[in-house]
Amino acid sequence: MSKAKYPVILVLLLSVLIAGCFGGKGKEEGVPTGNGKGGANGLSTPPGQKRQPSGTYISGTSAGDAETLNFILAADSASFGYAGLTIDSLATYDNQFKVQLRHLGKPVQVSDDGLVYTITIRDDLKWSDGQKVTSEDYVYTMKNLMFSDWLNYTYKSDWEEEAGGQTVFVKPEVVNETTFTITRQTVYPEFFDNAIINLVPYPKHIAQKYEGDVKAFTEAEEFNKLTYTGNLGTFKYEEWVRNDKFVASRNPDFYLGKEDGSPYFEKTMVKLFGSTPARMAALEAGDITSSGIEQTEAQKFQALPHLNVHILPTSGYLMLMYNLRGNGWDALKDKSVRQALAMAINKETLIQSVLLGFGEPAFSFIPKVSPWYVDEGLAKYGVGPLFDKNKAREMLLQAGYGSRRIDGSIEVKAKDGKPLKLTIVTNIGNKSREQAAFFIKQELAEIGIEVDIQLLPWPTLLRQYLMNKEPGSNQELRYNGGPKAISEKPWDLMVIGFNTNPVSPSGQEVFFKSDSGLNGNGYANAKVDELFTRLRTVEAVKESGRRALYAELSRLISEDMPVDFLAFEKGITGIKKSVQGVEPGINMGYNSHRWFYE
Amino acid sequence: MRDYILKRLFYSAIIAWGVFTVTFFLLRLGPTSPADKYLANISARASNVAEVVAAIEARYGVDQPLWKQYVDYVSNLVRGNWGWSLSTSMPVMELIKRHWIYSFQLVFLSFIFAATLGMLIGLYSAVKQYTKLDYIATFFSFVGISIPNFWLGIMLILIFGVQLGWFKTYYDTSLPIVSLANLKALILPVITLGTGITAGYTRYTRSSVLDNLRKEFVLTARAKGLKERQVLIKHVFRNALLPIVTIIMFDLGAIVFGGAYLTEIIFGIPGLGRISFNAIFADDYAVVVAVTLIGTILVLMTNLVTDVLYTVLDPRIKYT
Repeated sequence: MSKAKYPVILVLLLSVLIAGCFGGKGKEEGVPTGNGKGGANGLSTPPGQKRQPSGTYISGTSAGDAETLNFILAADSASFGYAGLTIDSLATYDNQFKVQLRHLGKPVQVSDDGLVYTITIRDDLKWSDGQKVTSEDYVYTMKNLMFSDWLNYTYKSDWEEEAGGQTVFVKPEVVNETTFTITRQTVYPEFFDNAIINLVPYPKHIAQKYEGDVKAFTEAEEFNKLTYTGNLGTFKYEEWVRNDKFVASRNPDFYLGKEDGSPYFEKTMVKLFGSTPARMAALEAGDITSSGIEQTEAQKFQALPHLNVHILPTSGYLMLMYNLRGNGWDALKDKSVRQALAMAINKETLIQSVLLGFGEPAFSFIPKVSPWYVDEGLAKYGVGPLFDKNKAREMLLQAGYGSRRIDGSIEVKAKDGKPLKLTIVTNIGNKSREQAAFFIKQELAEIGIEVDIQLLPWPTLLRQYLMNKEPGSNQELRYNGGPKAISEKPWDLMVIGFNTNPVSPSGQEVFFKSDSGLNGNGYANAKVDELFTRLRTVEAVKESGRRALYAELSRLISEDMPVDFLAFEKGITGIKKSVQGVEPGINMGYNSHRWFYE
Repeated sequence: MRDYILKRLFYSAIIAWGVFTVTFFLLRLGPTSPADKYLANISARASNVAEVVAAIEARYGVDQPLWKQYVDYVSNLVRGNWGWSLSTSMPVMELIKRHWIYSFQLVFLSFIFAATLGMLIGLYSAVKQYTKLDYIATFFSFVGISIPNFWLGIMLILIFGVQLGWFKTYYDTSLPIVSLANLKALILPVITLGTGITAGYTRYTRSSVLDNLRKEFVLTARAKGLKERQVLIKHVFRNALLPIVTIIMFDLGAIVFGGAYLTEIIFGIPGLGRISFNAIFADDYAVVVAVTLIGTILVLMTNLVTDVLYTVLDPRIKYT
């Protein structure tokens, strides 16, 4: 045989091997070939019939793996997400923010003075060893775990209050097997929305074994493998391959499934991807059931025949933060200067060019979907008549940052006559923020302000620009070191994003109250402080009172402008068309136990 | 030879201990802390941030004096306890035991692919120097070296996974390791990781073979009447192998924790590369130290194996 034939044979052999190995991917994974029984609209089960569970629901994410299933130790959302597939909380919200009871047997009762919360749980909840879940478990979880010094629960301050000049915990007490109370000393109308609703118990009879020993508790197999969850959740833990997937199988004893046979998936899987392109490819190929979609890909995915693409409101907002501390541009302490800058930035153009249309202009920290949103009176800088570059120049001139030329036009400059130069900082890796920074640079250039952009790794942005301390002091670095504190590096403007709880936006006080823990830019307004404080009083117990307070707060903040609220972003999610029962909305997953494959 | 190997093992142990110690102290002296990820939540809610941070650091065991942390760690290490991984909530040893196989199979198959194909093409290219096939092989070598493997991986997924539907778009860990289905699942990742390496080995092999083809012993062998195939394989290629083996063995250590990481990211393979990278950013000291130690031992052992292999390939080489 001639030597020239060797490479040909090699190629042929490889081709045979490859051809023999693949023959397509076969049946679509996780989708059953049988039909799911259902009613006329496929959404409700006819009386007396239970829908047959089938298939695996695979959701794709590239946001990072969980750290632990022992969720009381966690600081990341993925950990709560995974554990939440196997154990519900007391209640949740639907898309209209109506409370949907889960472990609660009936709605929480609040005393007339707003201080005592009576919580009644269902009487059919059981741990995996058959023992009943009782109010003892809830009270133990709070008193001995969440409020303890030895465990240091990250969110324990959600259960604290200032009373008599001290920081104290709320008081949980057992009433009977299924009822317990939580007593406060101060009124907090949003205590249920911010804390109680998310309460999840640990089994007292198991946790007691590890009490006081943080190492043993951290390594406890029952809590790291969720072997105790009983009928408390939709699924039961099956396996967790780190950096790859979390798999849970259908819980046949699910407490809500007694009548309708839910859940209707045999398994659920959270599949982790190391990169967004890989995740998008998997969704496009149909290898996963659902995933978030990048804005740049939305149009392509909307055209795919096997997917429903949902564009949903979120409560995350993009903003331009002003440095009001000693090492930022001094003029930013003048409200009219802040307003002038906001007047020069077109929010609608920003949404179209940076968010590709997937957003809504923002004017305060309360999103439109929130039941507390009030439009009337909001100062809507950056849109309509309050987007005006000429007016912006006029305002800067009046503040002393410019001069009028012979032709009447205004030249914006610093008070010493030099060109005005500002610094914008933001974090690398977030495309929206990076592009927003460049857009703002362009907009401000048109009114004569030069902007230098610094893109920084997120930890650097936090440590060197947002965290602060008093110069020359021994104070440790924190997010709010007081009115005299400054950050390590100087900055003027920062593009960053926060998240609001639409049901209880008062949580935003951490950013906007003068003495609050995350007030990184040094904003101080006594009236704003007062309004946030009044939101934690009897005045806010009644809906009308709370609404009035939020309306005043939104108007004040939109006008005072410690930050320029740019946009509330919209989320894009793709779900296979074969999944039925989905109700698109801000809390789309609230009824996921009733979703099913067609 | 036995004495030589024992001496090398002794020095390797010292080097490994040195690398482990330096890594241990460098990590703990860095500016970040495991409490950092809690900091925003703590600051939002707690009045005494420093106290809460101290409590979290105590939970992670980093509140002890450095020397005590080191002594505790070493004494646990020699008893087989490599610590607890705080970023994955499992014992470090168990984490490594579960995940090493994913990196190993990827790297092993990629090296088989790259070494076989690279050496074959390189040998053929050298023998057929300046022919059309040589130019084609050279061109693809340069293309292979130039293409970033993360781009290649994404392209392979898009073409073969999405458009053609021949492969799944991600690696499925539920497949048995020893199975045809698993082998199929590794085709695209192996091509991704192996392409750049193949290109490199093609060039090295071609260069080394050309070098040896010009030597006098080749003329002698041909003059003796040996068949060309025998001259090439038994004499030329065998002598050309020495530098190629060196390069292959040196590459092994770098690929596991360097190049394989990107391939693991693209295809969703939960190998040691990904685990170690995530551990670095999570300040998971126990995992970083363990993985560094394993990497060091791997590199030291491959160097030793390479040196021993030399004596097999070239009987003239002897160690005392």
